[in-house]
Amino acid sequence: MIAGRKKSIAFFIALGAGLILVILTLYIGWVLLDWRKGILLFLGVILVLFIVAGVVLNTIFLVREIRRNAQHDAFINAVTHELKTPVASIRLYLQTLQTHPVDEEKRKEFYAIMLQDSDRLLTTIEQVLRTGRMGLSGAKPNRVRLDLNALIEDCLENTVKLHQVPREALQFIPGPPMTVYGDREEIESALSNLIDNAVKYSGKALGISVQTEQLDDRFLCVRVRDQGPGIEKAELTRIFGRFYRVPGQLAARVKGTGLGLFIVRSVAKRHGGRAWAESEGPGRGSTFVLQLPIAR
Amino acid sequence: MSRVLVVEDERHIAEGLRFNLEAEGYQVQVAETGEAALAILSADSPGFDVVVLDVMLPGIDGFTVIAQMREGGQFTPTLMLTARSHPDDVLRGFSAGADDYLTKPFELPILIARIRSLLRRTDWLRAATKETKPQPDEPDRFEFGEKSVDFNLLELRVRGQAFPLTLMEANLLRHLIHHEGKPVSRKSMLEEVWGLHEDTDTRAIDNFIVRLRRYIEDDPTKPRHLLTVRGVGYKFVASPE
Repeated sequence: MIAGRKKSIAFFIALGAGLILVILTLYIGWVLLDWRKGILLFLGVILVLFIVAGVVLNTIFLVREIRRNAQHDAFINAVTHELKTPVASIRLYLQTLQTHPVDEEKRKEFYAIMLQDSDRLLTTIEQVLRTGRMGLSGAKPNRVRLDLNALIEDCLENTVKLHQVPREALQFIPGPPMTVYGDREEIESALSNLIDNAVKYSGKALGISVQTEQLDDRFLCVRVRDQGPGIEKAELTRIFGRFYRVPGQLAARVKGTGLGLFIVRSVAKRHGGRAWAESEGPGRGSTFVLQLPIAR
Repeated sequence: MSRVLVVEDERHIAEGLRFNLEAEGYQVQVAETGEAALAILSADSPGFDVVVLDVMLPGIDGFTVIAQMREGGQFTPTLMLTARSHPDDVLRGFSAGADDYLTKPFELPILIARIRSLLRRTDWLRAATKETKPQPDEPDRFEFGEKSVDFNLLELRVRGQAFPLTLMEANLLRHLIHHEGKPVSRKSMLEEVWGLHEDTDTRAIDNFIVRLRRYIEDDPTKPRHLLTVRGVGYKFVASPE
């Protein structure tokens, strides 16, 4: 992740240095070779055009870097919140139990709350660590044969537990038995992220369906459909970017790190598949599709 | 009873705070958004004694909430309780109008102590404004035995000799005289005279009693007017047999 950044910065530094060299050449050339006007004019025009193009390119890079920095700040804030809130909650309940006499029933309730908070904490930690690992080219997925439908059942179960939603709110429509050749943890993480997102963004309007189907003899896909707030056309690809969160009210209402969909897309790519989003527009729900190759 | 408004969208933390603050004897209301908090505050003014405010809220954030409160003339003491610990955030909170700032995760006893400190300040302010107001229904002078107290001049006269009283001494004496012949608990003295709602150090009263006895008793070691009622507090007797 960091190495890639360095390389791209190095290119733009080289570009800047190159442009300075060109300017110097132009200047010296103009002084020394004043008499060959015709060729110089031609050369000058070419070089000036080159400089202009270079400056434009550098500016674009700068703007992108600034935007990325802003996203990075937002990400740090979000992760800080996602890490500190469950810890704060767990500590609060522990200290409550320490200072007050609490009856049996309340105590059980407090234990349940603390367990939920520790699950939430673990989810965030895993997301951050996984994102770090995705960037390392050395860490190859540890592939085994996986029963996709069973894996989805597990993920649904976890989501129900984590978000305290009724099991009926999540409908599973399994296709024919399918086997994927992939890294269990990675595939599970991608599926969980999609299902968790559907629950988180749907708010009270649940009614989520998860569907598996075979596309052709090479690929299968998982569709996670929700009745949530939907997605603008312009955001459909951007949302898969690292740290990216759709700006506005929704991001403020739904807490998240901006890593989930990045993980989904990275996992898909690492397994030779794809991930994308479909939406009719704001207010009309959305569908996330994860396409993976079938195990042979 | 002091009322606390908790503005927090994380249900677990909100409920944990509610449990603890209610155990401390406060009345607690929870608002899940900044908009809801502002609506509650403006509809119910001046009902709350302290606001505990989170920053990362759905909709408008905590900084905006506190700024709008202060702009709208809501001066309820407010403690910001947030995961954001960067110095810039802390400064932003204070400049928006917060009275205190505590970062998550926090120590529960410290949070409680800080809320208490905010309440205490309000109580002091209230007590101070109460004192400066004239209280026509209370007597300005009171005579017992060969002594007299002038509450306007803050003066105690014993057989023609004048002793100056401090404001608190005079108020305490007035309170005891008001309940003449009946035992008065230390707690009631703290609440009525000092305006404090704490059960911490009620022994502080005893020092005041010792001083008052020195003024009004002929023999402070054998009090006749200001009597100790064991296990309760004190009793004032104007004319002992």
